[in-house]
Amino acid sequence: MSTPTRRGFIGWSMAGAAALSMPGFLAACKQEGVVEAAATGAIPENPFLAWFNIDESVIRTVLAELTSRGADHAELYFQHTRSNSIGMEDGIIHKANTSVDQGVGLRVVIGDQVGYAFTEELTREAMLGAARTAAAIAQSGAAVQPQSFSVQALGGLYALNVPWAEVGVDSKLPILTKVDGFARAGDPRVKKVSVSYSDSDTRILIATLDGRIMVDQRPMTRLWCTTTAEQNGKTVSQSANIAGRRGIDWYTDQELKDLAKRAIDRTVILFDAVRPPAGEMPVILAAGASGILLHEAIGHGMEADFNRKGTSIYSSMLGQKVAPDFVTIVDNGTQPNLRGALNVDDEGNPTERTELVKNGVLNSYLHDRISAKHYGVTPTGSGRRQSFRHVIQPRMRSTYMENGPHTREEIIASVKKGIIAETFTNGQVAIGAGDFTFYVKNGWLVEDGKITAPIKDVNIIGNGPDALRKVTMVANDTTIDIGGWTCGKNGQGVPVSQGMPTTLVSAMTVGGSNG
Amino acid sequence: MAESLNALVSRAVSMAQEAGASDACASASRSREVETTVRDGALETVKDATSNSLSMRLWVDGRYGSHSTNDLREDSLKRFIADAVALTRAVQVDAHRVVPDPSLFEGRAEVDLDLVDAGVQALTREERLALAMAQNAVLKDNPKIISATSGVSDSTNRSAMASSNGFTGEHGGTSLWLGSEVTVEDDGKKPEGWMWGGARHRADAPDPVQIANTALSRVLARIGSVKGPTARTTMVLDPSVSGSLVSRLMRPASGRSLSQGRSFWENTLGERTVNEALTIIDDPLLPRGFRSRTWDGEGIALKRREIMQKGALAAYNLDTYYGSKLGMKPTGSWTNMIVEPGSRDLAALIGATKSGIYVTGWLGGNSDSTTGDFSLGLRGHRIENGAIGAPVGEMNITGNLLELFQGLVEVGNDPWPYSSLRCPTLVFENVDFAGA
Repeated sequence: MSTPTRRGFIGWSMAGAAALSMPGFLAACKQEGVVEAAATGAIPENPFLAWFNIDESVIRTVLAELTSRGADHAELYFQHTRSNSIGMEDGIIHKANTSVDQGVGLRVVIGDQVGYAFTEELTREAMLGAARTAAAIAQSGAAVQPQSFSVQALGGLYALNVPWAEVGVDSKLPILTKVDGFARAGDPRVKKVSVSYSDSDTRILIATLDGRIMVDQRPMTRLWCTTTAEQNGKTVSQSANIAGRRGIDWYTDQELKDLAKRAIDRTVILFDAVRPPAGEMPVILAAGASGILLHEAIGHGMEADFNRKGTSIYSSMLGQKVAPDFVTIVDNGTQPNLRGALNVDDEGNPTERTELVKNGVLNSYLHDRISAKHYGVTPTGSGRRQSFRHVIQPRMRSTYMENGPHTREEIIASVKKGIIAETFTNGQVAIGAGDFTFYVKNGWLVEDGKITAPIKDVNIIGNGPDALRKVTMVANDTTIDIGGWTCGKNGQGVPVSQGMPTTLVSAMTVGGSNG
Repeated sequence: MAESLNALVSRAVSMAQEAGASDACASASRSREVETTVRDGALETVKDATSNSLSMRLWVDGRYGSHSTNDLREDSLKRFIADAVALTRAVQVDAHRVVPDPSLFEGRAEVDLDLVDAGVQALTREERLALAMAQNAVLKDNPKIISATSGVSDSTNRSAMASSNGFTGEHGGTSLWLGSEVTVEDDGKKPEGWMWGGARHRADAPDPVQIANTALSRVLARIGSVKGPTARTTMVLDPSVSGSLVSRLMRPASGRSLSQGRSFWENTLGERTVNEALTIIDDPLLPRGFRSRTWDGEGIALKRREIMQKGALAAYNLDTYYGSKLGMKPTGSWTNMIVEPGSRDLAALIGATKSGIYVTGWLGGNSDSTTGDFSLGLRGHRIENGAIGAPVGEMNITGNLLELFQGLVEVGNDPWPYSSLRCPTLVFENVDFAGA
């Protein structure tokens, strides 16, 4: 998108559209700032002092100012993130990046109105200034302040043996050089290899008007390998990546070998790949990253902010049958070490396993606090934000379909002429119209029940409720993809996961050739 | 904060050198952005954001690293820079990691780009709310409307850069954007339409009522949309969507893509590869332009030049590092890209089209920088005998970017003003559409 100067506004302006993309490392990576790390990476006894160098009395003062003109709810969201990324090209580790990003976001909520401000300076004066700015949206008397704060115990979905803050750069470099070596040795047609690596450690402290304190330490790492290959004067390139809330011990030699092999396999198959014919046809979604279909076709449409405003195509469909009985679609924040895992959401609510579609019936939206109050339900722990600079919205975490009654072989055998969609780069949806797309980078042509040729570079477009109705077969091989997916909505990116069993959608429109 | 940005960056460069960097370049910025949105006649969100940041590019014993922080306290900064130098020292020596040639800093244009408007900086809370409400008021009477959101976003920013080999520069700007988004009922579907536009100066910002009316007319045009045809036919791109396709075409001309064997532009400089109807000028000195500036992120002095001349790529987009890898001089970054206009507007171009598809919006899709293969989702209208016909959607176009732009037969005279890529209506022949 060509672009004005400010990302936030573009995002807001594009509110009708939401996108999922692979080039997804948005967070900055961190090196230690003035704030001391807890010795072992465990949550410290006094997180205010240890992580943010503030005490509880400052929090009380700022919260009082923030809610001085009234509030249904308010919170302070302290964040400190250190990230580190390293790049390798042409056989040389040619750059390293570090970044430190910290600040506090202050939000006051009255009904569905939101006053928001943040400051990067964690001083009493700067926070009070931001609090006054955010408070201005309200117009009544001061809200009741908490009697006391209690620190809530959280789950340990991504506790690391060694936190990233304690891993030296010397231990990280071999990860890149090994992947580079495996990729170069893997196929003589490979001419160029790029490897990029990142890790980050984010510390969060949320203090709410109802007296709760939530403290979370969120790691993230990602490793990306891109290969360029040549054959008979033709050049092709493709990449593979893995990501998760994991530590350095995840990067075993086997994991690195597998990554390099995936990148090469996806690249060299492009020499023989063709475009399928253009038009409507059956589409088989391969197990794994095909969860991108769910993310776009239903996930965004089930985010309750769109439904509360009546602007989602699903806004009057709760309780209705939308797919066959064997379809159950879940959004889950509680799976250990996934990119979409969260011990607590960004407004301090516990995360959970939410069934969007249960046995074919539209079951639940994804709620943040504002929408939950609107609908009179419990929040689903789906309130997320890109950083302290951003307002909270209902968002997906890890979205996948559960196993069905069929097998992959049965599904392929049932298709007379269609395609298998296997690797993806990005997707998008128009929330209200329901049209969604996803871009297939690698796949296969299926003719008379058999795989006949590789395909490349086709966009698939469909309509959400229509595509769900057309899910005719679901296999028993559901798989969560471990690629580094980032979901974009209203200009904010958050890490997500997705998964899928092999699934047949009887008709979608596939980009292709009319020749 | 009392310290000027200039003082901060020169202090940071000194600190880096003291910490052992052979060379350093520091840039710092300060910005304020206020967003105000109203929905269905009531205030919805007010966000007020002030940000500071410092980024450092370091050359340490033949190695390179880039680092950024927003924790600018004295102690933090000192420690951050020491850590950054140490980390940079840990990567490998790369002969192409040289500091930008200071002779390229010379000849910086001495012009006033007119990027700062005191009127934007003086906007009050009440004025912002009034600009949002003026849009939203237009969007309440039509009974088909489900929900309408209108907003105003304004910003002011200032940045400074200094390097150990003699560069110093300061840069600043303001902008004001207005936008509306409206959702209507259409037999169970709820199509949305939006319009946003902005400018560096308040006086150039679009009229709020016009913004709202455009958003509304766009969404009303979607009512009754059906899946379009599968066909090979003519494509007319609205100026609001044509720029993103030009951007896809030009992006792989970057040094990184070229040096990594991931660019279909490799070895094509000066050769006619797309239709001669396409000429593009990069104009860093455009008064009040969104990306106007006299020097780029490396400090290189920028000049207006052709980057695409009658269908032949006239320049790559190379920085010092990738220029060195490719054995070429750095070009300075691309800024405002201006597609040279033709002689007819959208209405005339559609009038001259017997049959085809008029594209008004993209939905997803992607392109491959190595091969130029692309496939993009879209919505729009049929064109029948020179007139805009029924709305269609749920369609893709698929092909190869170079081949597509060889079929670019005419460029309009109506460039989109609300983007740094100023592109008019574009008309392509023989495009592969996939639909029903």
